[in-house]
Amino acid sequence: MEILFIITTLIITALISLLIKRRGVIEFFSVIASFIVLFESIVVALKVSASGVYSPFVFFSIDSLGAIVMLIIACVGLATTIYSIPYLRQETAKDIIGFTRVRQYFVLLNLFLAAMFLAITANNPIFAWISIEATTLSTAFLISFYNKPSAIEGAWKYLIINSVGLLLGFFGTLLYFTSVNSSGENGFVSWQSLAANATHLDPVLAKIAFIFVLIGYGTKVGLAPMHTWLPDAHSKAPAPISALLSGVLLNVAFVVVIRFKIITDAGIGQHFSQTLLIVFGLFSIIIAALINFTQKNYKRLLAYHSIENMGIATLGFGFGGLGVLGAILHIIYHAIVKSALFLSAGTIFLKYSSTRIAKVKGTFIALPITGILFLIGFFIITGTPPFGMFITKLLILSVGIKTYPVISITALLFAVLLFIGFFHHATAMTFGGKPDEIKTGEESIWLIIPPLALIGIVVILSFYMPSFLSTLIKDGVLHYQ
Amino acid sequence: MNILTLQFLLEIVFGTIVLLHITKKNVGAALAYGLQSLAITAILFGYFFETSNLSLLFIALLVLIVKVILAPVFFIKLIQKHELTFSVSTLISQIKTLIIIAVLTFFAHSQKFAPLTGIFPANQVLLSLAFSAMLLSLFLLINRKGALSQIIGILSLENSIVAFTIFAGLERSPALQLGIIFNIFIWLIIAIVFVSMIYKHFGSLDITTMNKLKD
Repeated sequence: MEILFIITTLIITALISLLIKRRGVIEFFSVIASFIVLFESIVVALKVSASGVYSPFVFFSIDSLGAIVMLIIACVGLATTIYSIPYLRQETAKDIIGFTRVRQYFVLLNLFLAAMFLAITANNPIFAWISIEATTLSTAFLISFYNKPSAIEGAWKYLIINSVGLLLGFFGTLLYFTSVNSSGENGFVSWQSLAANATHLDPVLAKIAFIFVLIGYGTKVGLAPMHTWLPDAHSKAPAPISALLSGVLLNVAFVVVIRFKIITDAGIGQHFSQTLLIVFGLFSIIIAALINFTQKNYKRLLAYHSIENMGIATLGFGFGGLGVLGAILHIIYHAIVKSALFLSAGTIFLKYSSTRIAKVKGTFIALPITGILFLIGFFIITGTPPFGMFITKLLILSVGIKTYPVISITALLFAVLLFIGFFHHATAMTFGGKPDEIKTGEESIWLIIPPLALIGIVVILSFYMPSFLSTLIKDGVLHYQ
Repeated sequence: MNILTLQFLLEIVFGTIVLLHITKKNVGAALAYGLQSLAITAILFGYFFETSNLSLLFIALLVLIVKVILAPVFFIKLIQKHELTFSVSTLISQIKTLIIIAVLTFFAHSQKFAPLTGIFPANQVLLSLAFSAMLLSLFLLINRKGALSQIIGILSLENSIVAFTIFAGLERSPALQLGIIFNIFIWLIIAIVFVSMIYKHFGSLDITTMNKLKD
């Protein structure tokens, strides 16, 4: 019931945004909807932590990992919705956008959130595929939101590359259906029935299917070498959308990959899928670290950092065992802190009117709170102790060092390289004197609260994990290792 | 429907993709896609007559409306609106393109893919042909420089996957098929809007002229 309520709430809010011509009403309903969605997501997470799997209807089923991602979507969704209001108001004040654009923004934002919830809760892999494709469709116009040639180019790359990737993923998904008699279930094949029939999969076909799924959905995750759309799309979208794309959407697609991994493993053992995940994970870390140094745009810098972090999570699932624990925790921390960083980047953009690193100096002076938040976010995301991402990286690499020492050391070296590159750029933006034409002071308290809250959540979760979340993580590790 | 008829319809799908590779005119590409979709629709209708499954008839009718009628009409209107008579050329020459098409087709029919094309042993020849169509559609996407050709390439890939799943017996529930067609319809509209936006901003549909992201 809760899931239907979440989806309905978001769709009704999208309709309200489409029909009502008063900006304040649209903003009010969007925020209320986000609070409702967060509340319902917590209820679902509590039910999953108590019962293991929550499946109120045949079309929906949420396991522990699904519940974690649901909480991430709801949490980041609320923060971005609240942040979007002052952000878009500032852009309207600067004559960058008009009311029509604002309305379009809230319609698409709510549809995007609904599509992500559908994708993560869908009990059928094809239904999940349709929902993930819907996320592409709802975000394409958000990426081209500013209607500039570069934004159109970024959105086109996003649309084409992701559509091709998802079609390949669709093909891989259908190949898994060879193991089940779909007519017996009225054509409705659930994740559970695929897993239960995994042993009936032809071993070679299972390998081919997983390759298609990994390449297909891996495109949406942003794994190298299918990552080329990601920095362009994430850097051209409005900052709150970049936060959702980078912090949340990647994880939704990633969970689908991991669900297929479990099915493949049940059919042919873990070795094949683990090897592929390690290869793609390591390659993503290397590519992101090397490109990181040459970045001139701070939003692209953050986007490349997402590729590295998804690579680390992929590596964790590839290593297996406690690496899965590291990977699940890494997903949680990365999603929240990356969203906070993109929101802070949005505030920096509003102040400096540029996304070029060379044009942003002295954020500590110009934006005293946002500057600090950005720097704390940088320390958290690069795995600086004592924050949670230090532990997750350490956990993943320490698991890997026993069985794959060369890969673990290579990953560590490139992660260090990425830290140096990011540190160089972050310090260049933070310290020093600000340009004379830039006034000192934050623009709005509501541009500070959402990223501050997200950073606060990550810091708290680094040292204390609520019992229900702890149960979800443990269940997730047991199920997906 | 006998195997020869099915093979003929699938050869139309395959042939239209080859045509998409070599055609110089956008209208030709739009019509080729319409013909390709008509062949897929005919296969679906054939299965309806065999099974008398009404939901299959409904799906076939929807495919007919969306892919055979609406998509080519949208493309032709777009071509007329922006006077895009000639399609943007390929990245490699036509001779090389035809050689790669031959290699990919041979590759798809090779024993390497026997586990894939042997899912339904009675339809192995058809599955090999459908898989060739998939590879050629992917190559079309890489080789063509025009935004419109890329859209048609993606839709061709989707048609090829549909053909493969039909012959492999990987049927899905009518509700999900409905969802997929609806998705494709929305995708089509969005892609066409984007093509118009690309033309407005870049004055061409040549994607190699899109180089504003080099920062």
